[in-house]
Amino acid sequence: MTEKAISALAAALDRALVGQEDAKTGVLLALLAREHAYLEGPPGVGKSRLAEAGVHAASGSPIQLALHRDTRLQDLVGPVQLRREPYGEGQRLRHQTLPGPLLGAELVLLDDLDRAPAQALGPLLRILGERCWQGQALPLESVIATGGPERIDAYADPLEPGSLDRFAIQVRMPGLLYAQRWDCARVLLEGRVELSPGPVIDLCTRRRLQEQARRLPMPRSVQRAYVDLVLRLQRFAAGGMPLSDRTFGRAALRVLRAHALLRGASRVERTDLRALRYMLGRRLPDLTRDQFEELLAEAGRPAAPWLGPSAAAAGAAWGAAGAAGAEAIRARAGRVRSWELQPGARAPGMDEAQVERVLRALEGRFERGYAGLEEDPGGSPRSYRTLRGLDEVFDADPVELIGYLDGTRPGLPRSFRRERRRAGGQVALLRDVSASMEGRLGRWAGRVVAGLVRAGARRRMRIGYVEFNHDARRFHAGGRFFHRRYTSLLELAASSRAAGRTSYQAPLQVALNEFRARAGRNRHIVLLTDGVPVLGDPEVRRERTLARRLGVQVHTVFLGLGEHPPVLDAIARETGGLCFVGQPRPGGGLRVLGLGEGT
Amino acid sequence: MNAGLEGLRKVLDEHVVGHEEVKQALLLGLACREHIYLEGPPGSAKTRMAEVVARSSSLSFFFYQLHRDTRLAELLGDVVLERRPLAEGEGERIHQRIEPGGILTAEICVLDDISRAPGEALNVLLRILNERKFGADSIPLLSAIATSNPMRDEYYNEPLDPANLDRFALQLRVPGLIQSGAKEEARALVSRFAAGTVVEQPELRAVASRRTFDDLYATLRRVQVPSEVKEGLLEILQVLVVEYGCNETNSLLTDRSFLVKAVKLLQGRAALAGRERVELADLDVLRWMTTFRVAEEVHEKVPELIARVVGSAGARPARDS
Repeated sequence: MTEKAISALAAALDRALVGQEDAKTGVLLALLAREHAYLEGPPGVGKSRLAEAGVHAASGSPIQLALHRDTRLQDLVGPVQLRREPYGEGQRLRHQTLPGPLLGAELVLLDDLDRAPAQALGPLLRILGERCWQGQALPLESVIATGGPERIDAYADPLEPGSLDRFAIQVRMPGLLYAQRWDCARVLLEGRVELSPGPVIDLCTRRRLQEQARRLPMPRSVQRAYVDLVLRLQRFAAGGMPLSDRTFGRAALRVLRAHALLRGASRVERTDLRALRYMLGRRLPDLTRDQFEELLAEAGRPAAPWLGPSAAAAGAAWGAAGAAGAEAIRARAGRVRSWELQPGARAPGMDEAQVERVLRALEGRFERGYAGLEEDPGGSPRSYRTLRGLDEVFDADPVELIGYLDGTRPGLPRSFRRERRRAGGQVALLRDVSASMEGRLGRWAGRVVAGLVRAGARRRMRIGYVEFNHDARRFHAGGRFFHRRYTSLLELAASSRAAGRTSYQAPLQVALNEFRARAGRNRHIVLLTDGVPVLGDPEVRRERTLARRLGVQVHTVFLGLGEHPPVLDAIARETGGLCFVGQPRPGGGLRVLGLGEGT
Repeated sequence: MNAGLEGLRKVLDEHVVGHEEVKQALLLGLACREHIYLEGPPGSAKTRMAEVVARSSSLSFFFYQLHRDTRLAELLGDVVLERRPLAEGEGERIHQRIEPGGILTAEICVLDDISRAPGEALNVLLRILNERKFGADSIPLLSAIATSNPMRDEYYNEPLDPANLDRFALQLRVPGLIQSGAKEEARALVSRFAAGTVVEQPELRAVASRRTFDDLYATLRRVQVPSEVKEGLLEILQVLVVEYGCNETNSLLTDRSFLVKAVKLLQGRAALAGRERVELADLDVLRWMTTFRVAEEVHEKVPELIARVVGSAGARPARDS
């Protein structure tokens, strides 16, 4: 009977959506484990549709909310009640928030989670996560939320990792076309999808399945393998968000049990550890399926040296048997390091800290004389402030407004302070691609460029990109030199080839001409080079003058072993820019010196 | 062509010179109940065309000029505060809600200069345009026509959010007649205004009823889509992804638009031509779907690609027989 119910659920999802197997499994796991799920994918892949279909099939009548910029906590939680109570001679006004439908819901669908202001979302997700409101337990089972992929130029604030952690299940949904699932595309074209599959199991069955999942035994050996696997995943995530105890100590176990139930097993087995894959969407975005399988295969092997008991044993061996123990520990360290350097894994220690230094200093420059947020009536609400004019009444806090109009509130009501990121400033990135920029230096330069693009994107600056050797090559997007197509710039940063010799004059000329053709403030050039100019005017006198006249700050970054050409220092000093020198060190790694600020 | 829409086309021709493709696309969008996005420089008759189509169909109509300070309430209706006395005790319950108006009550709406509004304000449109639902209530909207200036530094606008852009199934560039060097049409334009008989704000009478649109929609959903057309569509998409390297970061080939809506647009194309079966040549409609969804260089190659696929698929059955 269990089997029948589960296959009916799966079939209902299959009827509603073609392909997207991972996401379907994720939704089923969330429903059975009573956990929250977050489906992430580009527009039009059927995120909302899948969420809806899952909830309906499981006989839920969800509360559905589409979140947007002006979503307020009040809209989500419930209306406000003002109660007048006699108080001595006078009256007391009590302000209460009433529980709205959301708080009585068992299943909730939240659409476009990433579009709501983080301020409204934080408390909501907390309530949903704790399943508790003002000390009262909520009947909530699962929240299924959807959202778009993370974009560096999105206007909404990115979701807080802490908020996102409330969603135990996190699955990414790639588009069928981009994933080249032509078979699925064909089915979809045939139009053989059901618009809204009705309930396929009843409420009792849902409860029974959840109860059944909760009781599935999880043998000790699987528990051990699980802990081992999670620790390995944490190691993989080194530097990123830590895997939380809340999720991986508690929620994940429910998910594993639900996975076993989906398989029709009577207890949790090793293979159910695969359910973790549905929990890693945003937590470990770099982990590929193969890497996961590899980690899984290793998990729980007795040889794993850093598992609690064996680590203790190794420590004991260290004391007792000296050399052998040291060997064991060294082997352990060696293994870990080689792991971290695998492609795809984050690899700390590789000059990243040095890149960060340069980026931070330059970002500081981008920021100067320029506030990140400016007041704008169309922007996202950030905080409250006092009403300043009658036109802001629409945005005022309704309860306070009424109090004010009634004369029961002494001060003006509060309205929102709306702000948006300033769309301003231009930066031209000039990257040396002469033959010597091969290998490590080239990669390093790529990282700096990518970092600057991200920094510019955060400030919505327009960015121009030039690669130069003896000649300068401009990269246009949509017919423009300065543009905001940040993703294509990131691709360029990762894919340049080195050849030719170096000239400083050519790229500076190109960039300054672009600046000359337009007005603007907050203008920067970042010149990344590793060579001495052998062509063009080595002192670039004309360009220096022009930059000063146009008010463009030229920052220079020199990479390489030899002495840096003093002209770089001079350019930066004259235009009020920064000058950096990065020297590769014999043992690998890079040392960056900031040569002080220009005046 | 369908009689009701033929009238509409005539009115369009009366009021606007040239822009053959845009006119076709507007009618197709209305017939298929899809949204249309027109982008062109100032003064290229974008708004005029949108307005003429909207006003001469007897549908309830909402026109809104978006601007930097556009607020939600202006698009959706008035924000009202409801105060109700409590059932017991003294006091009141306060509710803030939106009294539906604007987009929520219109059957057809024109969102002029859509890219001037901050993206944040627009994102509430997403669900409305897509699901045609506000909260739990369905709304009567058939089509939204949005216009915008090209993204250039001189204009105070910013590109539409991809998710918003994807809501507009049909997307067209509207070049000015003079800018694109359309000599004949420019001549016609000048001679029309030279006569001095043109009324600047013409009275438009309704030439297409709601009934016309309902009937047309019912008809077009019955239009057959032969498998060779579906295969042709898939082939074009395959080339875009595999050969031209369209991916998530450089394009917007969404499953919803290209695997679901495209079929409806193909049917619409056939229905408007009075056919009961989609033909390979109808795949031409993909040109209007890819305008801003793929890079400009790729879009330039789309007509060629369509011709290639149509040609090779057209040749196949001939060989077989």
